[in-house]
Amino acid sequence: MKTEKEVLFGLYNDEVDLMKAIKVAKDDHLEIMDVYTPFPVHGLDDVMGLSESRLHIAGFIFGALGTLTALGVMSWVFTRDWPIIFGGKPYFSLPAFIPITFELTVLFASIGMVVTFYTICGLGPGVVNPILDTRITDDKFCLAFETDGLNTSEVDNLKRFFNTTAAAEVHTKSISN
Amino acid sequence: MEQFTFTGKQKTFSIVLMVIGVLCMAYTYIAYDGGHHARFWTNFLHNSVFFTGIAFISFYLLCAHTLAYSGWHTLMKRLIESFGMFLPVGAIFFLILWFGTISEWHHLYHWAQEGIATLGHENYDRIIAGKSPLLNKSMYLILTVGLILFWSLFVMKIRSLSKAADRGDNDLATYKSTKFWMAIFMPVGAFTSAFFIWLSVMSIDAHWYSTMFAWYTSASWLVSACALLALFVIYLNGQGYLKELNQTHRHDLGKYIFAFSVFWTYVWFDQFMLIWYANVGEETIYFNTRLNTFKILFFLNLGINFLLPFFILMRNSTKWKIGSLGFVAIMVFFGHWLDFFMMIKPGIYTTMDVHGHGHGDHGHGELISEAGHHAAPMIELGWQLPGLLEIGTMLGFLGLFLFVVLTALSRAGLYTKNDPYYEESLHHHS
Repeated sequence: MKTEKEVLFGLYNDEVDLMKAIKVAKDDHLEIMDVYTPFPVHGLDDVMGLSESRLHIAGFIFGALGTLTALGVMSWVFTRDWPIIFGGKPYFSLPAFIPITFELTVLFASIGMVVTFYTICGLGPGVVNPILDTRITDDKFCLAFETDGLNTSEVDNLKRFFNTTAAAEVHTKSISN
Repeated sequence: MEQFTFTGKQKTFSIVLMVIGVLCMAYTYIAYDGGHHARFWTNFLHNSVFFTGIAFISFYLLCAHTLAYSGWHTLMKRLIESFGMFLPVGAIFFLILWFGTISEWHHLYHWAQEGIATLGHENYDRIIAGKSPLLNKSMYLILTVGLILFWSLFVMKIRSLSKAADRGDNDLATYKSTKFWMAIFMPVGAFTSAFFIWLSVMSIDAHWYSTMFAWYTSASWLVSACALLALFVIYLNGQGYLKELNQTHRHDLGKYIFAFSVFWTYVWFDQFMLIWYANVGEETIYFNTRLNTFKILFFLNLGINFLLPFFILMRNSTKWKIGSLGFVAIMVFFGHWLDFFMMIKPGIYTTMDVHGHGHGDHGHGELISEAGHHAAPMIELGWQLPGLLEIGTMLGFLGLFLFVVLTALSRAGLYTKNDPYYEESLHHHS
């Protein structure tokens, strides 16, 4: 089952215009669908009022999981399952476990964060994401509104908004949800 | 406010700290004469190394930032330069220590004993004789006092260029010349600082050596320098100076404290683990002393220099909030002071009769056995743990450090407006 949605978007020539436009949109209480930029624009998330990413919380949990896995497995293997004496050290020798614990913490945290990030963003092999305009990966800055369920006067209002905020181009496109 | 004024109140405060320091040092000297006033001299060396190192590494950090085309630090440039101005004062302390070595005022260094490298002499020590081309009294003068003065030349040069830039004399040429001198200082300073730390600290345990020692101490200096910088920024902000230094700059300083704390732990642990794993007697003796005789400090060191800053500064907001950043900065500053305490005190404590009963005659050379350690109390203040006199001595040095830094800060404008990266620093966004 495929659903389509109508998107009205404006393309800006530089990020200063874009930032001004977002501020105006926020003041007019227009509901922004999303903003697309060819490079990370500093201060954009503040202006858009996005909340802080929670990805690092996932990172901490995965890291802690890595620490526990490494310490747990090594302690079990070297004290219960197959005790071997290395260099006259005791079976449970914590300093020797630390490097592997560190590595596994980093490994779990990094892979876990990548997988979480890809899952949340709906990215992955074979996934086709709709793109509004190919030039937003090059030199255009895009501000998009969803127009499904809006009446004509509201859509006209959005078009007026693009005109007043110096958008270089305004287009509509229907993309799959 | 464009210009920092060193007010009477601040002067009084730092002078009071200095007076406390002098009184504590005098009392330590008079009341504890064991091992040629070992408690006084170890405290003196400890704080000299710590504060000189902070001055050195701050300047080093400034060079690294400038050469890496960094912009955010530019608002703090004057402050960091002022930190560097403590270096010549450090040279005076090491001159005193050198005089102490040649005049036998102290016996901090085993290698400085008479006849230690002379075959057939009663003090002859084969291992130290082998190291005597490096560990001798003239090399000590060159590689401590000489090196500090050498670094000071760079500090003075960069400072005068930075002042020239303030007057607007030929901006680009000044900037290029600054980078030229900094580019020379970076490799030279990095390699020579290793000699400085080998001579001043590592040679206390003259039989022992670790190739990671120079890294490890630099990491310790780095954390304490960043912590002190963060505290200065918070203080100056509170006084109404440098209002442009905001949350984002503090965030970066917080990241530095966090990152260098982790780096310190990495080096500290590597040094420990390699020695623990290899289990070579002449190497493990260093950690054997610290793990057994200095147990509390050994684990406290790891706790307040790694675990606490790591978990407290992990979140974004704690890195810039004044309360949490200030708390961690004070904690790691003290923590790394303790780290240097741990580098210096054990070597003297275990090899010299610091209690003064035997007048240090069986002194350096062999480890005093635990049993023969004339019923010392379980925890001895000033050795296994810093006592009030150690804290007082540290406050004295801190007072002097504040005095020198604030004087230097008041002698030039707070803002380096002609720096090419000044504008970037104003709009810093992390």
